[in-house]
Amino acid sequence: MADVKKKKGAGVLVYILTGVFLLILCTAVSAVALIKPYEKVQTYLNIIFMDDMKIVPSTGLDGLVIKENEIKTEEAPEESLSDTGEIIRPSFGEQYAVLKCDAIGLNVPVYWGSNKELLERGACQTTSSKVMGDAGNAVISAHVNTFFKNLEQAKVGDTFVIYTNYGIFTYEAAELVTFENTDKTWVVPTEDQRLTLYTCKQQVLGTSTTRVGVVCRLIDQKYYTKPVTDDAMGEGAAE
Amino acid sequence: MKKIRCYIPNVLLTFLLVFFLLAAQLTIFVKAQALNPRIFRQITAEENLADKAYDSLEDYFKSRTNATGIPTEVYMDVITHEAIRTAMDQSVTTAFDYLNGKTDTYEFSMDFTDLEASIESFFSAYAEENNVQKDQVYEDKVASVITEAEAKITFVTDTFKFSTMYENGWLETARKVVSYLNLATVLCVVAAVILFILLIVCNLRQLEHLLYWSGLAGSISSLLMLLPCIYVTSTDYFSGFAIKDPQIFAAVVGYLRRLVSGVTTMEIVTLIVSVICFAAFGFFCALRREEAEEKS
Repeated sequence: MADVKKKKGAGVLVYILTGVFLLILCTAVSAVALIKPYEKVQTYLNIIFMDDMKIVPSTGLDGLVIKENEIKTEEAPEESLSDTGEIIRPSFGEQYAVLKCDAIGLNVPVYWGSNKELLERGACQTTSSKVMGDAGNAVISAHVNTFFKNLEQAKVGDTFVIYTNYGIFTYEAAELVTFENTDKTWVVPTEDQRLTLYTCKQQVLGTSTTRVGVVCRLIDQKYYTKPVTDDAMGEGAAE
Repeated sequence: MKKIRCYIPNVLLTFLLVFFLLAAQLTIFVKAQALNPRIFRQITAEENLADKAYDSLEDYFKSRTNATGIPTEVYMDVITHEAIRTAMDQSVTTAFDYLNGKTDTYEFSMDFTDLEASIESFFSAYAEENNVQKDQVYEDKVASVITEAEAKITFVTDTFKFSTMYENGWLETARKVVSYLNLATVLCVVAAVILFILLIVCNLRQLEHLLYWSGLAGSISSLLMLLPCIYVTSTDYFSGFAIKDPQIFAAVVGYLRRLVSGVTTMEIVTLIVSVICFAAFGFFCALRREEAEEKS
């Protein structure tokens, strides 16, 4: 009787172990067979499903965090300014500067990043360009019928001032340019620290493929000795 | 020794059966679900893609008013939810006609007669009000606005991005795959049936063992597919989809979730059948043992 029970137990064990063995073998074979194809598509998968926050959109604004900052645009006392300082890097959708040009009555908020929602709120600086204070080309654009409607009236020698929470950057219009939207000559990175402003060429109706712009050279930059933060200056609103 | 001679072929046949069973299931699933235009139409309806596309277009033309000076109504008064729904349906039909070899190219076009009339009428009224001469420049401008609007509407309406896939050659590759799909399905099913027959031959003397080996093949093949499906579902992997345009997101993520849910259901059914096989095997083994004991 005990022998029969022992034999029965051994039989059950063999069935279970065979199942486990086959499961491990098949999983291992599948894993080995899929390693190469997975390596090939891994980069694409990471790009396609890159949103770790897993936002499910219901409008075009979903996933975009717009932050409004209060930027100081009045003259600062000399002792609070320095020739060198620390750049505060903005996040996408953050208003990080104010652009002023008295000659053409320009006073617009500048957002870091560019999309249609941000273009409705102000001028947008493309993220592939340089933040104010960094060496290179800072490229800012806006709609011609709203924030940059007077840009075409700018003349060589006009002064453009960019106010940020970490410093004030003064530029002088060096060149007025006209180019096609496919021409990237003026928006590519440069060695020198410059500011490029552009908008669509004004026309009666419809979208223009021609762009008009002002290329400015840096004439002065001052950093606040104490960075002006949201807590000190004003409120931040997230949308 | 006799038992081992029988055991090893059974293990080998089961091992092969796992993969051919998996391949047969997947090819049938791709044909019946993944490449079924009915599924695309269901997703279009369930996810309200037409409404989402309409809202997206309205949003776009509203935002463009600042740059173009053309009021949103010029476009949106002639674009209806129904027209978008019909166009989406038509894009699915056109894509599957191409995939199934009924047409040689993927050419999806919408009827823009009303839109063209609306834009022309707006420009004409504007020109008369502002004494703008209707010369070649004027004609070119009207034509470019019409082209741009049509391109945008076609782009937004094509929520499953068939045009983009066609332009990148992916639809052509899929067409080639589809042409071999029936053959692949038949081959996989035939191979699985042959392996199953061989299992029967190996277990002719103790036919209840066939239940064990086929249950093992079924359960392993279902687990191999179920585990990735459970991972993808539990981590909500597809919500990480980078394109956040509501209609594209809903279409792509909705489709992928539908596929995973379909595979999960299919594999759960396979697993249940396998468990039934194991239970039946246990029952018949016990029965045989009782008979043997009675005899002895």
